Amino acid sequence: MKNKIGVYVCHCGGNISDVVDVNKVREEAEKIGGVAIAKHTIFACADSSQKEIAEDIKNLGLDGIVVASCSPKLHLFTFRAVAERAGLNPYNYVHANIREQSSWAHSDDKKGATEKAIALVRSAVERVSHSVAMEPVSISAKNITTVVGAGVAGMKAAIELADMGSQVYLIEKAHYVGGRTSQWGELFMPGETGKSVVSYLYQEVNKRQNINLFTGAELVSKKGSVGNFEIEVKITPRGIKKDADTSGLEKAIQVCPVEVSDGFNFGITKRKALMNYHPGQFPEIASIDAATCTQCGKCAEVSEAVDLNLEEERITLQTGSLMITTGFDPYEPEKSEFGYGDYDNVITLPQLERYLELNGQDLVVNGKKIRSMAYIYCVGSRQPEGENKYCSRYCCTSAVHSAIKVREKVPEMTVYHINRGIRTYGKQEVLYEKSSKNGDIYIQFNEDTFPEVSRNGKHTVVKVNDILTAGKELEIEPDLVVLVTGMIPRKDNAIGESLKIPRGRDKFYNEIHPKLRPVETTIDGVLIAGVCQGPKNITESVKSSLAAAAKTYSLLKREEITLEPIMATVDSEKCEACDKCTTACPFGAFEFIEENGKKVARVIESNCKGCGMCLPVCPTDAIELSGYTNTEIEGMIDALTESDY
Amino acid sequence: MSKVDPKLAKDIAKYGAVDFSACYNCGNCTAVCSLTEENASFPRMMIRYSMLGMKEEILSSKELWMCYHCGDCSATCPRQADPGELMAGLRRYAIANYEPSGITKLIFKSNPFSILLTLVLATILGFFLLTMKPDFTVSRWIFSWMPYAVIHLMGLIVFSFTGLTALLGIFSMSRRLNSKHNTDSNKTKKSIFQSIGEVMTEIGTMGRYQKCSTDEGEYWSTKPNLVRPWFVHWSIMWGFIGLLVATILDFLFKDPATTIWLPSRILGTVSGLFLIYGTSLAMFYRITKPTKTYEATKLADWMFLFFLWVAGLTGFWMEVAVSFNLSETLSQVIFMIHTIISMELVILFAFSKFAHAVYRPIALYFLARNRE
Repeated sequence: MKNKIGVYVCHCGGNISDVVDVNKVREEAEKIGGVAIAKHTIFACADSSQKEIAEDIKNLGLDGIVVASCSPKLHLFTFRAVAERAGLNPYNYVHANIREQSSWAHSDDKKGATEKAIALVRSAVERVSHSVAMEPVSISAKNITTVVGAGVAGMKAAIELADMGSQVYLIEKAHYVGGRTSQWGELFMPGETGKSVVSYLYQEVNKRQNINLFTGAELVSKKGSVGNFEIEVKITPRGIKKDADTSGLEKAIQVCPVEVSDGFNFGITKRKALMNYHPGQFPEIASIDAATCTQCGKCAEVSEAVDLNLEEERITLQTGSLMITTGFDPYEPEKSEFGYGDYDNVITLPQLERYLELNGQDLVVNGKKIRSMAYIYCVGSRQPEGENKYCSRYCCTSAVHSAIKVREKVPEMTVYHINRGIRTYGKQEVLYEKSSKNGDIYIQFNEDTFPEVSRNGKHTVVKVNDILTAGKELEIEPDLVVLVTGMIPRKDNAIGESLKIPRGRDKFYNEIHPKLRPVETTIDGVLIAGVCQGPKNITESVKSSLAAAAKTYSLLKREEITLEPIMATVDSEKCEACDKCTTACPFGAFEFIEENGKKVARVIESNCKGCGMCLPVCPTDAIELSGYTNTEIEGMIDALTESDY
Repeated sequence: MSKVDPKLAKDIAKYGAVDFSACYNCGNCTAVCSLTEENASFPRMMIRYSMLGMKEEILSSKELWMCYHCGDCSATCPRQADPGELMAGLRRYAIANYEPSGITKLIFKSNPFSILLTLVLATILGFFLLTMKPDFTVSRWIFSWMPYAVIHLMGLIVFSFTGLTALLGIFSMSRRLNSKHNTDSNKTKKSIFQSIGEVMTEIGTMGRYQKCSTDEGEYWSTKPNLVRPWFVHWSIMWGFIGLLVATILDFLFKDPATTIWLPSRILGTVSGLFLIYGTSLAMFYRITKPTKTYEATKLADWMFLFFLWVAGLTGFWMEVAVSFNLSETLSQVIFMIHTIISMELVILFAFSKFAHAVYRPIALYFLARNRE
C-alpha cells in the first residue's frame, strides 16, 4: 500500500471542466486515504504541468501518481515518461479517463458526470496503491531474417537486408526464382520484361555473400519467438548432380515420357517431368518435378547429370524474424464462367501474356489467327455474389497494356474492352490514353447485367448491355475472348497455417494496421510483404517488401528486443497443467516444463502480449497478469461499487 | 440488339470527323449543349454510335439535325475529340446514305471527284446554254451530231434523276425518323398543323441557333446580332428563298425586268443583298476562323458557299447591267456563269450540303410531332 499518492485532475481546456466540476473531484481525491496531494490543472499534458508533476514527485517523494484526463491512448506514455524522468517507476502511474468516459459521454448530466469522475479517480487511486514497480523485459535477438518466397518482393527485400548487414535466408519453393513476374512479358514502363527484372535481381542476390538462397525449399514448422525462431525447412532435390556434365540434359528432357500441363504457361503448353521452366530461367539448370516424375530412369540413361535420388532433406535454421513474400495465384475462372472451358477461344489474361511471349510476330490461338479480341474485365474480382469483393489493382493496367502490345504485333486488330470502369491509376493512365487513341473500343457494364459469352455456329458472340450507350444490348463477334482475371491468395496456404498468420476477409494475410503498421502481423517477428498481403502491382510489391525489410532490420539490428513487462506469470504451486491456457492463448506463449517433479505451465515471455485471455480460463487461478494483478483489479471494483455513483 | 461494327467508324471518319475515338464518354459535351432536350444525351450518344458502328441509330437521329455546330461541345471536350466536327461529319454521312445513288458518298469522300463532277457539269451546262443561241459556230457544230431534241431530253432526264433522288432521300429519312423504335407509341402525337407551325417558327427565327455560344464570356456574347452566325445563316437562307421566289415570279409573269420598282424585282434585290451579305461573312469566318467551329472546313462546305456567293454576285451584276446598259458581251458571259452555277446548285441539290435545306425541316417536323 502506498501513502504518498499524487492526483492531478485535468480541465482539458474546458473539454472536461465544462461538464465535470474538477475542483470537486480534486477535493474528493484529497480525502482518499494515501493521497498526499491533489491538484487540478488546465492542461496536464502541457510542458509546465509536466514539470510541476515531476517537481512534486521529487519534492514530496510521491510513490504513485494518478492523472485524471483524456484517454490513455493519447497520453499514457506522456505521463509514464514524466514519472520516469522524476525517478518514479513508470508502472506506479495510473491513468484515469474522465474525458471520453465522463465529460464527453455525459455532457447532459453535470452532476452525474462529476460523480462518475470521482468514482473513476477513486478506482485509479486504489489501483495505483497496489501497483508494483516493473522493469522492461529484454531478450537477445539474432540479426537474421528468413525471407519466404523469392519473387521480386522477396529478392528485393533480401538484397536490401543483406546490404544493411543482416544475414538472410531466402527460401523458394520452386526450383527457380522470380515467381509470377517471370511469367510476364513486357512490363510498364516499356523496355523491360518480367524476365529482365528477375534476372537483374537474381544476379544481385548471387553477388551477396550474406544471402543464402534455397530453391525447392519449403518452411515446414516454426519454434521459438521473435529474435530467436528455429525453423525447419524441407528441401526437394533438383534431381541434377552438382558440377556434372549437363550437355546431355536437353536430350534427357526429350526422352522423358511424362507429359503434363505446363503450369508456367498456365496450361497452354505441355511439359515433361524433367524440364526447363523457360528460356533464361534462374538458376539456368533443368530440374525434375518430383511430383510428376515416375522414376522410369530413361533420362538417366541419356544424361549422367541426372540424379534420380529425389529424397527430400530437412534442415533447421535459426532466424530472428520471418518475412513472408509468397505472392498470389491468378484467379482461375469456373467452368463455363464467360464460356471458359467451353470454347477454346476463351482464355485468361495470364494465358494471353504467355501466348504473346511464345507467339512471335502474330497472335495465334489454337491455330487461329486473331484479328479481333474482347477483354472482359473484373473476372474473379469485385464479385457482387462471389467471395472476392476486392479490386485486384493490376489487371486493368495489365489488360490495357497487353492490348497495346497486341496492336504492335497486329496493327489491324480490333480490340474491345468490356469493363466495369477502367482503373489505370497514376502514371498508368498514359496506357489508357494510348489505347484509346489506338481506337480500342471501351464498353462498360455494371454489376446488374454481366456480359454473356455464347457460340453461334462458328462465331463466338459476346452480348453486353453497354451503360455508355443507354444500356443498349450490343452484340460483338470477337475471334478471341480474354478474361481479365484478378489475384487470389495462394491456394497452398501451408505456410500461413504453420505460422498462424491471420487472414483478412479477402483471405490475404492481414497486417496489424493498414497505415501505422502496414507490414507487421500480430505475431511478433513475422512480417508480410508483396501480394500475399493483398493485390499489388510489381512496383507496389517491391515497395512493401522494402518497408518490411526496414521494419525487420530496425527490430533486429541491436540484437536485443525490449518487451513491455505487462505479461502473465504462472504460480507453479497452483498450476495443474490442465492445458486450458494453451488453448486460450492466441500467441502460443505457454509451454510446459518440469518443476520439482511436477509438470507445470510456463509463460514464454517473448511471446506473451499481456492480453489476459488466459486468466479467466484458469480453473485454479494460478495465472496473474503483472500490472493488472487480482488485487489491483479487485481494489478498483471495490472502489467503484462503494461509490455513490 | 445491335451488332457492333467497328469498321463503320473508319468510314465515318472519311466524312470529316477527326479524332472521335479519343472520346471517353464523360458527357461534358451533352452537359453544355444548349440544344438537347429530354433524354437524348446529345451529342455524346452520337459519338458512341459512331464508335460502335450503329448505322441505323445514326441515320434515324432527329437530334443530329437540331445541331447548328456552335462548337460549344468541342470547346468543352477534355479529350479534343471534337464532337461538333463529328456531328457535321455525321450529317454529311447521313446525306450520303439517305440518297440511294452513291454519288453523294463519292462527292463527300473524294475532293478530286467533286471538282471533276462540277467541271464536267459546268461544261455540259455551258453547251446546253449555247444551244439557245443557234447561230453560234459552236452551236452549229453541236447540232451537226446531236439534235436539239436529244439535248433537251437529256436535260429532262438529268433533272428528273436529281428530283427523284431527292425524293427518295426524303422518303428514306422520313421512314427512319418515323420508325417504331424512334417514336414512343404510347405518347400522343402533336397535330400536323401545330408541328408545321413549330417548324416554320424555327425557320423564321432561328430560335435554337440564336442560343449558340452566346452565354456570358463566350465569343459571340459581345458581338451584335448582325454578325452572329445565326443571322448570317438566316440571311443566306432567306436571301436564297427570296431570290427563288423572285425568279419564279419573273418566270410566271414573263416580264423581263424592265423596272426595278416591280414588286418581284424589289424582292429580288433585297434578297440578293441578304444572300451576298450572308455568304460573304460566312466565307470571311471560314477564312479567319474566329471560333473552333470554323477550324475544319471541308471542300463541300466551300463549294456550297462559293456557289451561292457567285450566284448572288452575278445575279446582281445582271440587274445593274440592265439598269445601266453595260457591255452586252460581258453581261452574256456573266449570265452564263450565273445560270451554270444556279443550275449546278439545283442539279446537285440532293447530293450536296444543300440537301440539309430539306432534311433539317423534316427532322424538325418529326421532333415537333413527337414532343410534349
